[in-house]
Amino acid sequence: MALYNFKKIMVVPTAKDFIDITLSKTQRKTPTVIHKHYQIHRIRHFYMRKVKFTQQNYHDRLSQILTDFPKLDDVHPFYADLMNVLYDKDHFKLALGQINIAKNLIDNVAKDYVRLMKYGDSLYRCKQLKRAALGRMCTILKRQKQSLEYLEQVRQHLSRLPTIDPNTRTLLLCGYPNVGKSSFINKVTRADVEVQPYAFTTKSLFVGHMDYKYLRWQVVDTPGILDHPLEERNTIEMQAITALAHLRAAVLYVMDVSEQCGHALSQQLELFNNIRPLFANKPLIVMANKCDVRKISELSEENQKIFADLIAEGITVIETSSLTDEGVMQVKAEACDRLLAHRVDTKMKTKKVHDVLNRLHLAVPTKRDQKARPPFIPEGALLRRKAMEMDAPKRKLERDLEVELGDDYTLDLQKYWDLMNPEEKQDKIPEVWEGHNIADYIDPEIMKRLEDLEREEELREKAGEYDSEEESEDEEMQEIRQLASQIREKRKLKILTSKEKDTQGPRMPRTAKKVERATLEKEMADLGLDMTDKDDSHYALRSRSLVRKRKREVSAPPTSRTRSQSASRPPRDQSGVRDAKMLKKVKTMMKSSQKEMNRQGRKGESDRHVFDVKPKHLLAGKRKSGSTSRR
Amino acid sequence: MRIEKCYFCSAPVYPGHGMMFVRNDCKVFRFCRSKCHKNFKKKRNPRKTRWTKAFRKSAGKELTLDNSLEFEKRRNIPVKYNRELWSKTVEAMKKVESIKNKRQARFILNRLKSGKELEKAAAISEVKKNIHLIRAPHAGQAKQLEDKMVQKLAEDVEMDE
Repeated sequence: MALYNFKKIMVVPTAKDFIDITLSKTQRKTPTVIHKHYQIHRIRHFYMRKVKFTQQNYHDRLSQILTDFPKLDDVHPFYADLMNVLYDKDHFKLALGQINIAKNLIDNVAKDYVRLMKYGDSLYRCKQLKRAALGRMCTILKRQKQSLEYLEQVRQHLSRLPTIDPNTRTLLLCGYPNVGKSSFINKVTRADVEVQPYAFTTKSLFVGHMDYKYLRWQVVDTPGILDHPLEERNTIEMQAITALAHLRAAVLYVMDVSEQCGHALSQQLELFNNIRPLFANKPLIVMANKCDVRKISELSEENQKIFADLIAEGITVIETSSLTDEGVMQVKAEACDRLLAHRVDTKMKTKKVHDVLNRLHLAVPTKRDQKARPPFIPEGALLRRKAMEMDAPKRKLERDLEVELGDDYTLDLQKYWDLMNPEEKQDKIPEVWEGHNIADYIDPEIMKRLEDLEREEELREKAGEYDSEEESEDEEMQEIRQLASQIREKRKLKILTSKEKDTQGPRMPRTAKKVERATLEKEMADLGLDMTDKDDSHYALRSRSLVRKRKREVSAPPTSRTRSQSASRPPRDQSGVRDAKMLKKVKTMMKSSQKEMNRQGRKGESDRHVFDVKPKHLLAGKRKSGSTSRR
Repeated sequence: MRIEKCYFCSAPVYPGHGMMFVRNDCKVFRFCRSKCHKNFKKKRNPRKTRWTKAFRKSAGKELTLDNSLEFEKRRNIPVKYNRELWSKTVEAMKKVESIKNKRQARFILNRLKSGKELEKAAAISEVKKNIHLIRAPHAGQAKQLEDKMVQKLAEDVEMDE
């Protein structure tokens, strides 16, 4: 309940820090700029706000401190007592009371000064009032310095207390100092308590957890108790006493048989009897520890009598040794069982029994007739159980085979197959034939279906479905086809030539172009007309007329000098050429230099025009079945 | 080991080839090559993409309903291995395959028959319309006329005689 809160208590600042924090917060969070020419209500509001803000802060923080700290009346009496032992209940309550008073005082101060500020008539007055208010609040807090310090220390110590749940199953270790309580808890739980040869090594309570019968158990280690009356006990011992008093636990009283702790057995017995009243209503076990050094049987008569008396009174005495682990488990089992029984008993007596009764009581249905109804166990389960018990020789495993064969071993799962003919087990099963999966064709009735299909196929063949229809086309049709193909070819050629003609430039009428006789005759001959000896035809006259040229007179010599020069100058392809051999060479050079140009169809040396930058046949088209890396 | 069918084009996907895509509703799509995969990602419908088998079958360009096609079917109940059944099945497969191919070829041939008629008619009309491109209307007529004239002259001469 209050366990977890101990760690969540807010930090209690020192008085100085507290004041500093609050004042700087006021400065940061409230507006800081004010001028005396502002309207008076604005000035008043400004300063009132500061006073109220400071008061609010103080109030909030102090209230939080007050609520965070546990109220001793509200927590479990174990914690209340423990805190009393450690921190003094009165001091604690006083400190908190002081804080409360301070809070109220601060509230009053703020209220008063806010009231006064309503009558402030200048910036200076209001400012002074604010100064006074803040100053008084801070002085109030300065006076709480001691309380705040004390509370901070309490908080730090509280947060470090071990989380002991007072309501769960607990084992409590008690006894003289140095008897072996901490060693026992180290053995039984995962706790790591310091173990040293000097007394009062353990100065406060320690908790360890262990598991028994699927339940969680707390084991509480206490500081050693010396034998004096209650009033003379110091804080450390009081902690142990508190634990004993309030925790409903199984008590393990540890006695040192070998008297290595420095106290005789009689003294230990005295202590035992003194704190006996604390063991009322708690299961008690006496641990005779350090029995590896000395056993009870090795003791003297009187000492043995002590133990005999204890046993006679009905208290369980178990010899243990934390060093050799002798009896540790026994103690654990015994203590836990007895505590469980005790807890069950207590629960039975309370009113809450009925909630828990179903866990404590097994209901058995009453017999209505004499018929025996034993529980049903299936046969397989019985056989399995018998096999487990008998440890029958198992069948040979693959692993055994592997070990036997060593390197020759191959995993052959086909031998476990359950087939109709066991000799087929080692067959290599075909899976694929010519791009088809054989598994898709497997059918027990496949032969029958195949027969039906073949029959059907025969019928079809008979009906003449598969006859190849050789159309014996008559000659006429063949001739027509041939003509049609010729026509198509001719058309294509015509289209191509018309595409090639030069569409730039003026469109001249047909008559402007001269038709060569040879082309005309050739065309007509292709169309089937007879074009032989057509010299006398009308179209051949022209050429005739061209032959009969008018005879011209010899031309007059040029009159001017330039004309004469141009006449006398040799033509370019003859100038500089010495003889026929050189002429021939020159001509071949000219031709070869033009070869490349002509081959590429260029107009001249400087013609770099590209007719088709992106040829369609290389770049366009669909992606057929091929890879993407090339087209 | 199985030869799967490509989801898009229905081509066989051999082991070690193609890609497999598993959708969030646990439907598995296998593709034979990136072409099909990319088309699928573009959300194209294989029944409308002309080069796929799905289109061809749905448009009636290929044989769809036939007994020989019923032999190859994915079966969900496995049959225990039995040597003679397996060997008989392999034999049967070969026969079924040959019959299937024959029938598929015949189907396509029949489909293309009507084209032949159209071809014939086109050739005839072409010749009728455009014969002038390869043959002049009175190509051999000059000769004929001449022959006729010669004949007539000869007749005249005869008559005269």
